[in-house]
Amino acid sequence: MLKKYLPIIISLLVVSAVAFVVINKKNSQTTEPKTEEKFIIGNFNKQKSCARHPQFLKQLKVTQPITIDLSQQQFKGLAFLWGKNFSKVIHPKAWETYEHFSTYALDEVGNAYLAPMPFISIKPTTFNLQKNIYKLDSKTGKLGIFMNFDDVHPSASNPYGIISLVYDCDDQTLWVSAIDESDYKSQKGVIYHVDVKSKRVLQRIEGFDALTITLLKSEKGKFLLAGSARENALYAYAIENKILSKNAEKILELPSAQEHIRKIKVRGQNLLELQTIPFSYTLIAQTSASDERNHYDAKWNKKIYKWTLTIK
Amino acid sequence: MSNEIKISIGILSVGLVALVAYWFMGEEGGSKSLSTHEKVEERIILPQYSAQTYRDIPEVKAYLNDLKKVIEQGQAILPLERSELDSNGVLAQDILLKDKAFLKDTMQNGKLLHNDMMRIRPAIVSVLSASSQTICKTHTCYQAEKYNYVSNTTSRAVVDIESKKVLEVTNHAGMQPDISLRLTHIAQAIALNAPEVAKELKKTPRRQDMSMANVRGALQGSPCQNSEHLCVAPTFSDHEKEEALWAIVDLTEMTLAAAKWAGLGKTTTPACISERSLQNRYIMKNFCEKDTHLEQNGWKLDYRLTGSDGLEIINVEFNGQKVLNTAKIVDWHVAYEGKGEADESGDVVMAGRQVEFVKGDEGKFFFGYNDAMGCPMFSTSVVLPFNGPLVKELYDEQKRKVGFYLTQDFRNPKWPMACNYRYENRFEFFDDGSFRVVGVNKGRGCGEEAIYRPVMRMDMAFSDKENFYKYDGFWKKWLTEQSDFQKDAKLYDQNRYLYKITNENEKKGYYIEPNRGQFHDDSRGDNATLFITKFKEGEGDKDLLTLGSCCNLEEDGVERYVSKNESIDGENIVLWYVPRIKNDARAGHEYCWADTVIDSNGNIEVRTFPCVVGPKFVPIK
Repeated sequence: MLKKYLPIIISLLVVSAVAFVVINKKNSQTTEPKTEEKFIIGNFNKQKSCARHPQFLKQLKVTQPITIDLSQQQFKGLAFLWGKNFSKVIHPKAWETYEHFSTYALDEVGNAYLAPMPFISIKPTTFNLQKNIYKLDSKTGKLGIFMNFDDVHPSASNPYGIISLVYDCDDQTLWVSAIDESDYKSQKGVIYHVDVKSKRVLQRIEGFDALTITLLKSEKGKFLLAGSARENALYAYAIENKILSKNAEKILELPSAQEHIRKIKVRGQNLLELQTIPFSYTLIAQTSASDERNHYDAKWNKKIYKWTLTIK
Repeated sequence: MSNEIKISIGILSVGLVALVAYWFMGEEGGSKSLSTHEKVEERIILPQYSAQTYRDIPEVKAYLNDLKKVIEQGQAILPLERSELDSNGVLAQDILLKDKAFLKDTMQNGKLLHNDMMRIRPAIVSVLSASSQTICKTHTCYQAEKYNYVSNTTSRAVVDIESKKVLEVTNHAGMQPDISLRLTHIAQAIALNAPEVAKELKKTPRRQDMSMANVRGALQGSPCQNSEHLCVAPTFSDHEKEEALWAIVDLTEMTLAAAKWAGLGKTTTPACISERSLQNRYIMKNFCEKDTHLEQNGWKLDYRLTGSDGLEIINVEFNGQKVLNTAKIVDWHVAYEGKGEADESGDVVMAGRQVEFVKGDEGKFFFGYNDAMGCPMFSTSVVLPFNGPLVKELYDEQKRKVGFYLTQDFRNPKWPMACNYRYENRFEFFDDGSFRVVGVNKGRGCGEEAIYRPVMRMDMAFSDKENFYKYDGFWKKWLTEQSDFQKDAKLYDQNRYLYKITNENEKKGYYIEPNRGQFHDDSRGDNATLFITKFKEGEGDKDLLTLGSCCNLEEDGVERYVSKNESIDGENIVLWYVPRIKNDARAGHEYCWADTVIDSNGNIEVRTFPCVVGPKFVPIK
């Protein structure tokens, strides 16, 4: 009797076994999101930076901990805070010459490069100040214009110009973002790659408004991460052979449409820290109360190919 | 071949074909689905009707009546209706309405504050403290949440039903709870009865078409422009078009706050909607990015919002005759008087503005800032538009309709808190061809002794050759650029007109009637300085950044465009008019002021004491 139905039983078992394999295989494939939906930067970790504090601090017998204050709350321009509870301050009046700064980057010998920022009120000089990168000399502590971008044109309808920069220890270059050309309808921001020695622009990519940028190395390569000024999202540009890919890929989105990433820090294994602000290309964002700023931990979960956001 | 073999082959064939089909089948299983990358065009609708429209809705009316009764009875908390409670819930509510700790934040300066009991239900472990957990293991415990509308605070209490004791009360400032069933029904009623919603849906909306997006999860922030308001978002979905109309209902104000058409994709969930960002995008798209044409009562004009010069009217005609090329309020100078030495130690920032200090006489100094009004995005303005420009009917003191006006409300987001401001730019158009450029200040400044100076710019359009006159017992023609202190004038033609502007042959023109309090708007007069300059590009024809010093009261900022040698005789001229207003915060005399009080329903009521300035232009006949 059993022998009679054996072919049927075997065929059912074969179909079941193949079905099991096929369904599992297909499900395991769908765990990883399609690249059109999410761009995968892979596993990453915090890298050792080449950044050094300026040498003049040693001459002034400034000791760790040291922080650079660009908050504009107490000091215009920049200030070095140091000592216990950062209670000691270095802030020569000359460091107020170029008004307010948004971000800085330190190189391997302690020079600080600074991006400008319009802050609260517009003065006759404000727009011109947004066209430059500034440099605080490591040895002398002298602050001056490092480089002028004559294609940057801030105006009453968009007071921002150069807005963020990051130093690339690999090739002694700066990555710089500017958002001056953008208007309500179109995104015309520019990312520049600048050779520090020659002050030559090595690459210029148009079409993305990066409110902040930072570099990240992962198992999949080197990336320039960019917080969008227009969207509540973090994007990544792949960097291959020192060349930035033409298009930015979205890697994660924040829960609220009003939030824009203003600071990105690589905190640890697969962990980013994101600071967000409301931003609408007005001066209001910079004057917004601290309760409108959020801090997130963005953790890349390599098992399920997903970012987990935790508000801090 | 036996039948069993044939069946086996059939099973193998069908099974394998099905598996191959499954392998190659898309994830969506062939069903139509909206990709998260596919964007539905966002359309935003701002409220067009007064708050009373919504307060007349029966559910809202009944709620407000109940609230009034409760407050009159000396209670601050509107309790949950019996239908929302089981018997233990009823008991828990009775206990809590007498509990001092639970009632602690319901009174302010002797006034009861509006609170609603939102939910009472069996306690869940995750909300309990360790000590409450121990008790509630053996006792029946209920948790309750109430919301304080004035302080935007949620209080959560845990009640031990058996011992009839309140185990704990915690307050969560700035947080909002899930709302009661009654409020859910009210929010639905507002959405269903909102004329704006019906207009968008092109039909009378039905309850069954709507899903209710509550404030999801406990204690979340608000999507309203005022993040301290309690808001929810009932939704009308159109699955065929794969879009939905989100109606944001403000339960603190009992109004429709805004509505938005958006796709059904995951990126457009209510959490992503905020009234403020909706307004910003709506205003940018409709009033900053393009001009709007208006034709009414013989008047034709275009208007737009500028980057920093407020609401601007352009190409104004009356009965086919050109009247104005443009008119706008460039900015408001805000100055306060101080005594002693001015602070020159560094940058001082007050309420988001850089403060300027100017030395005065006799140990005084002046400090303040220039407030630019303009588009909410891509601009340098700090005082932002709320809703878009509105056109309203204009009545005289006998309530007769005499024309219409175009108005735009600009506010600091935190108005009426101290050092936050609210300005209205208004253009009044009368049926007889007169018009008035009006600036309204609704406070609330940083205190008394504020001096406000709106800088108005008007470019008439009679012809390229215009003449300007001042009345001084007779009409005297001005030949060169100059200024005049209207506040010092003693003589007015027909006791109304101080200036007039005409075309070259003087057949067309307008008298200028400064405001001396005669316009029945409780104004204390313009006390203005007037400047006449020859039209030049770059002198205010495009967006001007703030003009001059806020606090040098000897100058208004326009002086930089005035040259005594520049002829204006028969030239295209520009008129600048800078009223000077002193605020008043004295009780009973308030002027350019705003204050908040607790009203009879226990809610915050903002009282405004506007000051209205601006000249009227009357056609010469």
